[in-house]
Amino acid sequence: MTITLDIVTTAALLFVVATGLLVIFGVLKIINFAHGAFLTIGAYGALATTAFNLNPWLSFPLAFVIGAAVGLLVERLVVRPLYDRPLDAILATWGLGIVISQFITLGFGREIQFARSPLSGTISVLGETYSAYRLVALAITVAVGIGFAVLIEGTRLGLSARAVIMNEDLARGLGIDTYRVRRMTFVVGCGLAALAGALITPLSSVDPNMGVPWLINAFMLVMVAGSSFVSLALAALILGGAQVVVSSYFSPILGGMTIVLLSAVVLRLRPAGFGRG
Amino acid sequence: MFRSCLKGASGLVLCALLAAPSLAEGPIKIGVPVGLSGANSVVAPSVVQSAELAVEEINKAGGVLGRPLALEVADDASGAAGAQKAFDSLIFQKKVDALISMETSAARNAGLALVQRGKTPFIYTSFYEGRSCNPYLYVNAWVPEQQVPPIVDHFMKTNNAKSFFLIGSDYAFGRGMLQFTRAYIEKNGGKVVGEEYLPMDGSDWTSILSKLRASGADALITSTAGGAPNVTLTKQLRAAGITLPYGNLAVDEGTAKSMGADAEGIFISASYVTSIDTPANKKFLADMKAKFGDQLKTPNDLSVPEYEGVYAYKAAIEKAKSTKADDVIKALAEVSVDGPRGTIQMNKERHAPLTMYLGQVQADGSVKVIQAFKDVDPGDQCPNLK
Repeated sequence: MTITLDIVTTAALLFVVATGLLVIFGVLKIINFAHGAFLTIGAYGALATTAFNLNPWLSFPLAFVIGAAVGLLVERLVVRPLYDRPLDAILATWGLGIVISQFITLGFGREIQFARSPLSGTISVLGETYSAYRLVALAITVAVGIGFAVLIEGTRLGLSARAVIMNEDLARGLGIDTYRVRRMTFVVGCGLAALAGALITPLSSVDPNMGVPWLINAFMLVMVAGSSFVSLALAALILGGAQVVVSSYFSPILGGMTIVLLSAVVLRLRPAGFGRG
Repeated sequence: MFRSCLKGASGLVLCALLAAPSLAEGPIKIGVPVGLSGANSVVAPSVVQSAELAVEEINKAGGVLGRPLALEVADDASGAAGAQKAFDSLIFQKKVDALISMETSAARNAGLALVQRGKTPFIYTSFYEGRSCNPYLYVNAWVPEQQVPPIVDHFMKTNNAKSFFLIGSDYAFGRGMLQFTRAYIEKNGGKVVGEEYLPMDGSDWTSILSKLRASGADALITSTAGGAPNVTLTKQLRAAGITLPYGNLAVDEGTAKSMGADAEGIFISASYVTSIDTPANKKFLADMKAKFGDQLKTPNDLSVPEYEGVYAYKAAIEKAKSTKADDVIKALAEVSVDGPRGTIQMNKERHAPLTMYLGQVQADGSVKVIQAFKDVDPGDQCPNLK
């Protein structure tokens, strides 16, 4: 039972971390390599919330807002001039990631720090005691997923976004302001990354380079998932589950490699990954 | 224009030449490579503070052989790659006269190669897994022979623990400590039902904690890298609701304080706790508070040996009447330091007999001493080193 909960909560964390990257990849067709840095921004936002003695639950919405704000700035200055050059945009976001973590080091110092968890203690689930915070993180992730489904299927922005994902030139021809869609998507993607950063902080620690391992796993998941949320959730569950199983039954060191290795295998066997192809 | 520049330049050169003799002496440079980033970054500031206080006190009293001490701090990122860079810059660029520092075993092992090449005395002030031997290395902190028995004995006698689960960081220290612990447990009739490791920078203990729960162990003993891994492990341990007797071989008082309520109940075995009731310790704590005020990081078992290490170096230079490496190396075994941990002399195969304290962390982060063991012998650490 515990391992099932481990798999589900780990998959949820991977899903929420990868969602922001997927959203930007789907609409803008670029991989935002600053994703790890936005994760870190959200984490330090959670740290600041603890430092100012605010309610730790505030760190989540606060992280989203800060991430979105920085994303807006970044989109205007870095990404928009490079709309026609997606490869250069990818390189630029990688450089941006480095710049952001250096700014964080200047502002917060390079040592490892810790944020307070909003919730401590355990909950009894089907006879097993399990970490309450992990379960709450799972609930928040499900809420984010549902919120996204509603956004994509039920709003005008979501409709425009789907059109841009399918065929941007045609969408522009139909009169959709694709530049606005791109901007909103980028902002939401960055906000999501920051929210994910705030979510993972209470479980471990915060340091300027914490985003990099998550970026790599998120990148693998996005590559394997294609461009739908359902396939991302599926990928997170299967690959995340594999990571937990390998960590539990073999060693955590092998577990860390599982997602990357399995992604390579999946893409070799089925280039469309978990998507519709 | 050019001729007047030439005149100015030659004038400067003349002045420099005249001033040169008085510049030749200069301060005695002590290099401090320490983990300002990475796993040790939680503890490193306290280590630097100890070194700074020692240097300030010594300089106020007239320095060493008439020369002041100067500190050069470098970041070794708590690992081998960073240590390579830090030691290289300290030994070959800054040309320090000695290295006195606390670091992870990975960093120490990487740095020793450079220490050997640069022939620089290295006083290692961190507790570690033992048996690290080098002609230029001295250690004034504890080794497993001094630290592990009190905790295991206590669990076996007081908690009737028969089965133990061991968790560590996957490098020399984690593996070395737990290897010794396993041997000691088995020699005393106990059983080890699990031994799990995470990389030094790993912070996701989920699967290991699930294994711990499934093992049915009576007690948990951990030996992670000092600093961050202790905090993440303890946080996740408490979040998972595990309340087994928990002995932590690698946590210091400062890190325990930063863990807050999660640290309550942890058993530690250390050569220094802030509650040591001696005039020397009380004076040390007062001086630290006076110098650093509310920026003070709790002095702990990883930072106090640094303070005493600087004094040991001073004593060795004064005994040898020189700063030359070979003279200092010889003298370091012969001098003793009276510090917050008592009188310490590194005369047992480059290691020091130490008084150890078995304690339990209280709810407010302080350590209650349960038992003290005077002048515990470090055992045979470097029998082949003469």
